[in-house]
Amino acid sequence: MTNALTISGLTKTYKDFILDHVSFAVPSGSIVGLIGENGAGKSTTINASLGLIQKEDGIISVLGKEKLDRDIKEQIGVVFDGSNYPEILSPQKLNRVMKNIYKSWDEQAYFRLLKQFSLPSDKQIKQFSKGMKMKLAITAAFSHHSKLLILDEATSGLDPVVRDDILDMLLDFVQDEEHSILVSSHITSDLEKIADYIVLIHKGKVIFSKPKDELTEQYGIIKCGAAQFDALDKSDIIVYRKMDYEWQILVSDREKMQKKYPKAMVVPATIDEIMLLYVKGEK
Amino acid sequence: MKGVLVKDFYIAKSNILVTIVSLVVLGLGLSFLLETSALLVLAPVASTTAAFISITSDAASKWNKNVVIMPISRNQIIGEKFLFYILLALLGMITALIPCVTLACFSADVMFHSLCLYGSIGISATLLAGGISLPCAYLFDPEKSQIVFMMSFLASTGIITGLVFFINLFISVKENILLAFNLVLIISVVWFFISYKITVKIYQKQDIT
Repeated sequence: MTNALTISGLTKTYKDFILDHVSFAVPSGSIVGLIGENGAGKSTTINASLGLIQKEDGIISVLGKEKLDRDIKEQIGVVFDGSNYPEILSPQKLNRVMKNIYKSWDEQAYFRLLKQFSLPSDKQIKQFSKGMKMKLAITAAFSHHSKLLILDEATSGLDPVVRDDILDMLLDFVQDEEHSILVSSHITSDLEKIADYIVLIHKGKVIFSKPKDELTEQYGIIKCGAAQFDALDKSDIIVYRKMDYEWQILVSDREKMQKKYPKAMVVPATIDEIMLLYVKGEK
Repeated sequence: MKGVLVKDFYIAKSNILVTIVSLVVLGLGLSFLLETSALLVLAPVASTTAAFISITSDAASKWNKNVVIMPISRNQIIGEKFLFYILLALLGMITALIPCVTLACFSADVMFHSLCLYGSIGISATLLAGGISLPCAYLFDPEKSQIVFMMSFLASTGIITGLVFFINLFISVKENILLAFNLVLIISVVWFFISYKITVKIYQKQDIT
């Protein structure tokens, strides 16, 4: 399987933050969810991948090329948190701008999507709600036959109905094996619905990059008391967290753990819980 | 590049229209008081304010983040802004010529020599000011760059005065006034080009977040 995006050893240093040798890949035909708390390095990773910021070290390969030339940029669709289009423009005027920028701009697809999202083509963007602006940004990203779609917190602040529409569109998009998506989001429930792989970034480092099914079907949380925690084989523990009345222990194979510790309560782990345990737990 | 230019004209459209109408009215009005061709000094400078409206709008909407990931090089993004600035200056010149030509048709005293002289001063001031303020628009935040934009016009008049004094050391400016200001114009064009190259260098390595 080829990768639409490969990030290897990406490093960027700021005064108070280091993106430290970040490595992961977005395989073609898949959706990769990038998760992590605010300031973990998700946007920095995306910005470096898109050439918005200069990297200090590492290799980034987009659609098989390390240089983001005009042809590669034609094939990337990006949606940021906010439309990032001049608010004085209307979708109609934006169409005139974009068709003079993208060789592959598909006017018909653009207006069809505007209609599908019930977006007025003659109203200025400043009159749009946040949801409408996001829909417009997604419409634009879908209207130049991009092969790689990158969404940076694109669904945050949207109501569940709009989010669901967008998630359906994303799933449709990857039906074609040539299309791939990298989506960073705080809303892990959305990623649970659509992602094939999950990458967790914490304090500028990739904690894991795993298939989502492995996380949701194999990972588990042992909920127990102090005595039971002490009796656990420490090599079984990925991370643990002491709560008010119980201990929560993240394990990588919940069925195996259930057999090994029949008296323990081992429950499936959500992506949210896994993230929380990694971020707030101890090793 | 054409798409970005279209976007800038959309943003600046209302401002350009106001400038055009104001210049024509001002030109016709001024004809009762002084030489209408003097409007050529003011026109290109006034019309380039639209370039800064587009830069401010880009910053407010975070368009810069979007445009960098579009199939346009950073070099072209800067090139477009400088081209837009020149186009606005030329538009201002053409607009200022409307009342001049109109009055000339009604046998008013509009001298070709004056048109060349004032046109040369106007374009020189505009290019010198743009050469200062455009790179700063990519170096500083919008508030600071707006201050620089206003200061740049003051600076450009100072630079022109300085250049005229300097040229006067070699040739008498009073006797060769058009030649002197054409030399200032050439220096301004070179300065604007150097400024473009500097801005490209700044923007190539700039982190856009």
